[in-house]
Amino acid sequence: MAASAQISRLHPIISPPLASRKPLISFSRFSPSFRCLSSPLSLSRPKTLTKPSFRNRVRASIRKLSESESIPIAKVPEDLDASIPAAAGVYGVFDANGELQFVGISRNIASSVDKHRKTVPADLCFSVKVGPADTATATADRTVLQSAWKSWVEEHISATGKPPSGNLQGNYTWTGAPPDLRLTPGRHVSLTVPLEDLIDRLVKEHKVVAFIKGSRRAPQCGFSQKVVGLLESHGVDFVCVDVLDEEHNFGLREKLKSYSNWPTFPQVFAGGELVGGCDIISDLAEKGELKAILQK
Amino acid sequence: MASRAANVVLSRANRMRQTLQSALEASVLEIEDVSYQHAGHAGVKGDANETHFNVKIVSSKFEGQNLVKRHRVVYDLLADELKSGLHALSIVAKTPKEIGS
Repeated sequence: MAASAQISRLHPIISPPLASRKPLISFSRFSPSFRCLSSPLSLSRPKTLTKPSFRNRVRASIRKLSESESIPIAKVPEDLDASIPAAAGVYGVFDANGELQFVGISRNIASSVDKHRKTVPADLCFSVKVGPADTATATADRTVLQSAWKSWVEEHISATGKPPSGNLQGNYTWTGAPPDLRLTPGRHVSLTVPLEDLIDRLVKEHKVVAFIKGSRRAPQCGFSQKVVGLLESHGVDFVCVDVLDEEHNFGLREKLKSYSNWPTFPQVFAGGELVGGCDIISDLAEKGELKAILQK
Repeated sequence: MASRAANVVLSRANRMRQTLQSALEASVLEIEDVSYQHAGHAGVKGDANETHFNVKIVSSKFEGQNLVKRHRVVYDLLADELKSGLHALSIVAKTPKEIGS
């Protein structure tokens, strides 16, 4: 399939929707976190997407991006409900210049668009095109929605040569940043493995980890804030751990110093290895090497 | 006894200077106490006194060492200070070639 080959070539760059748990995803077997679904098209049925009749059904039920009309996003919530369906489906948000910024899928398109309207700058979130899942010909289950998402993104790539910028990995404008990681559920739970092992697992499971003072949204130290800012401005896909969180990361501050043989914070790890602290990250950013070092 | 007392009376900056200079034979060694800039931030116990420093070192001993290694060398040399209230270090560690001298 030329189209899926194109997407899988690009998938290191694009974050497919609802993909927060699994870093490496192939489009033919997807497991996003749709909770309330009992899908008639269960995932145990192999390769349903390649059956021609099914593909035609999907295409027929969810219209193409180019065939959808543009709906301006009202400033007032009440007007919004009227024009945008509260149905499941795929949607694309356009900026004030008419350029596609983001393609998303949702159980309730109106509610998702409203959320974007509240959190994304108005000039990026100007109008929307919707492709509601037509319940007569295809139920709105996850495979249908993902397939529609894929085809809308592919349509855009064929037209412009690149994916929408809001769908690129490391761009949190539309989806929000990943939550800070916690090593333990809390102090009431005693550890069954040594803290070092937890740290070791954590830095190996995630491509880029920043151990900082404070939370990602509210760092409590100038150096940590600077590191978070640099990583975000370079579009790095990373997670944070708050070393000051005594409830969920008790003992981390001291243990990490000996684990990394590094006495200060923040500490940035990539590929399981320490890259350095604020000085080194700043230096790499100045030399233009930051993204390369973190994403190899 | 007298020399130990003398060391305690010496400021942290001076102690750091002695340690770094003798170990690294630095051609440039600048130490600046910037603790006042960090007074009141999380993790600084008590008042911000001799807790945060900027250090710039130029030494040929850094040749062939990547940044992480150079920082570790400096941290190891200042281990005692880090255990006794030194909280953060901003380190610029270069070789003479890198600064073009």
